[in-house]
Amino acid sequence: MAQTPVSATNPTSPEEIIQVKNLTVGYGSNIVLKDLNFSVKRGEIFVILGGSGCGKSSLLKNMIGLYDPPTGAVLIEGKDIVTAEGAERQEILTRFGVMYQQGALFGSMTLLENVRLFLEEYTDLTPDEMSLISRCKLDLVGLLPFESFMPSEISGGMQKRAAIARAMALDPDILFLDEPSAGLDPITSAELDQTILSISRNLGITFVVVTHELPSIFSIADRVIMLDKETKGIIAEGKPQWLRDNSEIPLVRQFFNRDAHAPVATPESQTPSTAH
Amino acid sequence: MADIALPTNPDAADAVWHAAGNEASLTLSGHFNAHTLGNGLWTRTRTAQTSWLGDSGTGKGLTIDLAQVSYLDGAGIAFLIDLQHAQETAGGQLVIHNLDQRYAPLIAQYQPINNLFPVPDSDHHDTKSTLIRVGQATEATVEDARNQIVFIGKLASALGWAARNPRQVRWNDFINVAVEAGVAALPIISLVAFLIGVILAFQSAIGLKQFGAETFVANLVSLSIFRELGPLMTAILFAGRSSAAFAAEIGTMTVNNEVDALVTGGIDPIRFLVLPRLLAGLLVAPILSIFSDLIGIFAASLTMLAYQVPFVTFYEAVLKTIHVNDIMSGLTKSLLFGLIVAGVGCLRGMQTGTGAAAVGLSATRAVVTSLILIVMVDGIFAYISYKTGF
Repeated sequence: MAQTPVSATNPTSPEEIIQVKNLTVGYGSNIVLKDLNFSVKRGEIFVILGGSGCGKSSLLKNMIGLYDPPTGAVLIEGKDIVTAEGAERQEILTRFGVMYQQGALFGSMTLLENVRLFLEEYTDLTPDEMSLISRCKLDLVGLLPFESFMPSEISGGMQKRAAIARAMALDPDILFLDEPSAGLDPITSAELDQTILSISRNLGITFVVVTHELPSIFSIADRVIMLDKETKGIIAEGKPQWLRDNSEIPLVRQFFNRDAHAPVATPESQTPSTAH
Repeated sequence: MADIALPTNPDAADAVWHAAGNEASLTLSGHFNAHTLGNGLWTRTRTAQTSWLGDSGTGKGLTIDLAQVSYLDGAGIAFLIDLQHAQETAGGQLVIHNLDQRYAPLIAQYQPINNLFPVPDSDHHDTKSTLIRVGQATEATVEDARNQIVFIGKLASALGWAARNPRQVRWNDFINVAVEAGVAALPIISLVAFLIGVILAFQSAIGLKQFGAETFVANLVSLSIFRELGPLMTAILFAGRSSAAFAAEIGTMTVNNEVDALVTGGIDPIRFLVLPRLLAGLLVAPILSIFSDLIGIFAASLTMLAYQVPFVTFYEAVLKTIHVNDIMSGLTKSLLFGLIVAGVGCLRGMQTGTGAAAVGLSATRAVVTSLILIVMVDGIFAYISYKTGF
């Protein structure tokens, strides 16, 4: 059978689906991150982590084209979202879905209508066909029984799952998740992790997740990059378990071991100091 | 079966339907996603299946061959599920051949598919009867009136508290609101008052000129403006600007749980949020009203120059016509209007539900309720004036 090279359902392909090149994040003189270079492979769950205020969410917003970075490029399936305009930009935007930190569901629409919205905008399917596709998405995240509920009528965890279903409406190759576990109880958070893993393994969708929830990172991440506020760059990259046990950078070990008493040091200044 | 030409466009999909008696085959080829299925492919295939199944699908078997399918995403899976459901509902069988193993889990995760159906009607119809809807609307109106009365009671209590504890009133907030609702409103009030003065003078002069009575325009216009148009027009502008602003501001705070934070922190939101706005409304509305009166009279006097009525003549006529009673009547109305606009804006803000749409709804309701109450109070006032001469 003919295989399409860009098939979203081929998790073993080593193709780099997102390439971030020399990206600077910030505006004016307020540079949060500079000269970032990394890539995300097709099908993997890629986690961006770092302490509060290190620019994780800003980086994500640059990667999805919400902010224009001062310098650098973000190639999504080979096309630069920073410079793309018009139809080309629209085409790139349909290749990925985004789940925002608070879910960002449209409050005046039911869950089903939230998911259907992008199908209505981008396809010529009939209403029944769009509804069936939307129901399949809601079923994937376990929210089919709540399809006629308004976002305000369901819990925070359910809102995030519904937001994932909405982000998947057009079967994108990539899903960006901003702090999916933030504000959720451990059980709901673990359920959300299972949803992410199941979608990743079954559909081969690439995930880019911004989080600093350790259990979630260890549970879902194939690979992580860790950002640092001091150096304004990436200080670690790899599998989280490996970084926790083997990283030579104290700050990385401290982060993964959730240790407030460990010596705090950045790659430049390795002088141990005590953080309180 | 017809020969299948593979689509040359990698993003195209095709389906060839072939039916003979109780057996039908569907050969799919190409790239199946929401876009390619949206070209009528899904609908055409389902129509062919429905007409073949007829009244009863018992004993009818459909074979779907996916050997030529290069890509199948969630929409493609939904398409297959739809075909499966139609087949099974009619009592027939469905067999899928040459399904790539990577897609098998995607289809398997939806089995059994029955809970995905029936697909709800895409158009929402309110199935409630007219009688029930009238009843619910009446109940909502009565409840709203009750809430307004309760709110008036709380406002009165807050005003009493402010009189007893003037030092505890948030005067900084009061000044900020007064500046925003008052000083910032001067340009629009000036513009509208000026134009109303000009229009009123012109219209009156046209009528009175027929009787050679242009000099009485000053009497007519000044009475209209001081007693009626000045306060009313100012109140309408005040409602459009500030009532909506109060509702949106407090509404957003309600949505963000800021009002809840005040309550749980032991701070009365009426005193914290409503009182400064209410006091600002009480102060600003009469001042704006007087300001608009003066601008209107000035505009009318300018207009009358065109009819050879000099300034001095005009002002003398105004001074002879307008008594303290007229000014006080206008000011009293303005005070009430200020109270209504600020109070209703705050009330609607506090009643805000959840979500961004709720804030918009509160702002709209604030303006609409303010306008209704302003007109009602104006009517009552006109009747009182007529009876008492005030």
